Amino acid sequence: MLRLVATILLAGAALCQAAESAAGRWEGVVQIPGNELRLVVDLSDEGGKGWTGSIIVPGFGIKGAELVDQHSRGGDLMFEIKGALGNPRAGHAQLKARLTSDGHLAGDFMQGGNTAPFILAKTGPPQVDLPLRSTGVAKEVEGEWKGDYEMMGYARHATIKFAVRGTEGVPVEFTIVGKKTNNVPVSFVTQEGDFVTVKSEEFGITFEGRFSKEAGEIKGTLSQGPMEAPLVLRKTS
Amino acid sequence: MKRFWVGIFRLAIGLGAIAVALSAHSQSMFRSDPAHSGKSAQAPRQFHGVKWKFPTGDRIMSSPVSDNKFLYFGGDDGNIYAVDSETGRQIWKRTTGGPVACTPAVANGTVYATSYDGKFYALNAQTGAIKWKFATEGERRFEAKGIHGLQPKNQTIADQFDVYLSSPVVANGAVFFGSGDGNLYALDAASGELKWKFKAGDVIHASPAYADGVVFVGSWDSYFYAIDAATGKEKWKFHGGEDPLIHNQVGFQSSATVSNGVVYVGCRDSNLYALDAATGKEKWKFFNELSWVIVSPAVVDGKVVFATSDSSLFHVVDAATGKSLLKQQDKAYMFSSPVIAGDVVLIGVLNGTLQARDLKSAEPLWDFQTETSKQNKGWILTADRKFNEPMFFTSPWREAPTVAVDRQFNIGAIFSTPLVMNGVVYFGSTDGNLYAID
Repeated sequence: MLRLVATILLAGAALCQAAESAAGRWEGVVQIPGNELRLVVDLSDEGGKGWTGSIIVPGFGIKGAELVDQHSRGGDLMFEIKGALGNPRAGHAQLKARLTSDGHLAGDFMQGGNTAPFILAKTGPPQVDLPLRSTGVAKEVEGEWKGDYEMMGYARHATIKFAVRGTEGVPVEFTIVGKKTNNVPVSFVTQEGDFVTVKSEEFGITFEGRFSKEAGEIKGTLSQGPMEAPLVLRKTS
Repeated sequence: MKRFWVGIFRLAIGLGAIAVALSAHSQSMFRSDPAHSGKSAQAPRQFHGVKWKFPTGDRIMSSPVSDNKFLYFGGDDGNIYAVDSETGRQIWKRTTGGPVACTPAVANGTVYATSYDGKFYALNAQTGAIKWKFATEGERRFEAKGIHGLQPKNQTIADQFDVYLSSPVVANGAVFFGSGDGNLYALDAASGELKWKFKAGDVIHASPAYADGVVFVGSWDSYFYAIDAATGKEKWKFHGGEDPLIHNQVGFQSSATVSNGVVYVGCRDSNLYALDAATGKEKWKFFNELSWVIVSPAVVDGKVVFATSDSSLFHVVDAATGKSLLKQQDKAYMFSSPVIAGDVVLIGVLNGTLQARDLKSAEPLWDFQTETSKQNKGWILTADRKFNEPMFFTSPWREAPTVAVDRQFNIGAIFSTPLVMNGVVYFGSTDGNLYAID
């Protein structure tokens, strides 16, 4: 019985130590074949509510991509990189890490089915970039909006349905009908003044438009990756 | 006297047989012959090994051709090469003023090739000595403002996927080729004298096909043309798709094949078209969901074999109706054209593999992966050999897309269309090697 209590106490101490020690800004490299990938990783565990984190990959246009905790346990940390370095085909990139006895964060960087080791050194306190969250939209914007646009030589029809406030999750449905019907998974929707943004990180699609109550429209652009097209949405309900 | 006539008769039969044999296995120009049949000698159904490899100074987009003596091909290092097909030993090289990204043609002891220096070369096939040179109005790649959505969108940017130069075709004493200056040229094959030139609205980098006195070629101006081979006059033209926003879904980069009075050609508007060779009327089209058809299709036993870029699909469709017969998912874009090599189809894949498929089932038989592709520097490929875009397309700004496409292509990609002779498969790679495998 005494041995069990001692084990529980030791395990608890180890967990506490891992959490405290892994928090911070970590910098180092992933050695992939023929190239060094620099990483800046920020990890925070404020209030013991679980890990929040973000990553910077210089040279890859990645600043503050969200690190999503994948059930890190004890000293074994596992994070998924959201919105960068992944794609629908290959899945999300991941970091699997553990604190070393000499105070480094070492592990594997996994991307596209490839795996390479990394070692990061602590350089300071964490500076986690918090991800954008949905703000919801004003009551006048709630409802279904439709519009047409053209991209890559083909006509498309877009429908965006902003749910009534108070709905849980991301309060919007986004459908694009071209040759096929695509239900676009929405990452977040925001409204700042009259400016409405609907973004799908998974599909790389963003609609940004200005709401006009008088004109009964949201006039803006739809961008898909580097392409963009004008899109005017009009309310149907 | 009777014996004499019997002798002549036998000789005639013999010559006829030789002519048939040569036409059956002639691979003296892009896609084997003027109509671009894409047919070749039987390829091995099993991979045994690398017979030899011939290193050059830069990537190879060109496809080897042969006069049954030497192999001829161009290199992006600016050279036109003649190599011994048995040993891989260099016979000669001729340096031009720019990358030779076309497939040469060889006829009557002369090798013909275009170069990015804007000149057209006719070389002695034995020695590489220049017989004559012809200056076009100058080479250039297709370009457009904000092409493929690149930024800044009001800046004219060259299309990095316009990788080939027009491969010449020799027929009826003339040599035909297209140019970045928008012209289709017809030169006297012996003297290099200009017979005529036909001006299209934009770059012509497809290889013209020739059948029954007509030259067929498409341009980046979105039109496909049928031109009278004798006069250079337009017989008809066919309008493909347009894409005024980002110029991604426009232009004929694919080289046509002509079979039984029908022209089959791929288009960047993501259709494969079947057009009546006499009238240009569309018989059918096969839509490929925004994936380009860059390859030159091959027609065999009433079926059309082709492949796509982004969707990386290997297709077999009915030649008469355009209905899908077989479809196989591949791993990466295909720009290399399918070769019908007996009961095997060979095609190069941009992930650095040469693939052999069974002609009937389209199932893979074997593949060969270049060493550069295996090394996978910078993780250009995923573990299952698909393109790993997030690792190289890092930004649409400044020169990043150019660098990205270069890195993507330099994975040992096979743009080259394979040639098969005596059971050996020859092709080039962006790793700079011409390979002979069996």
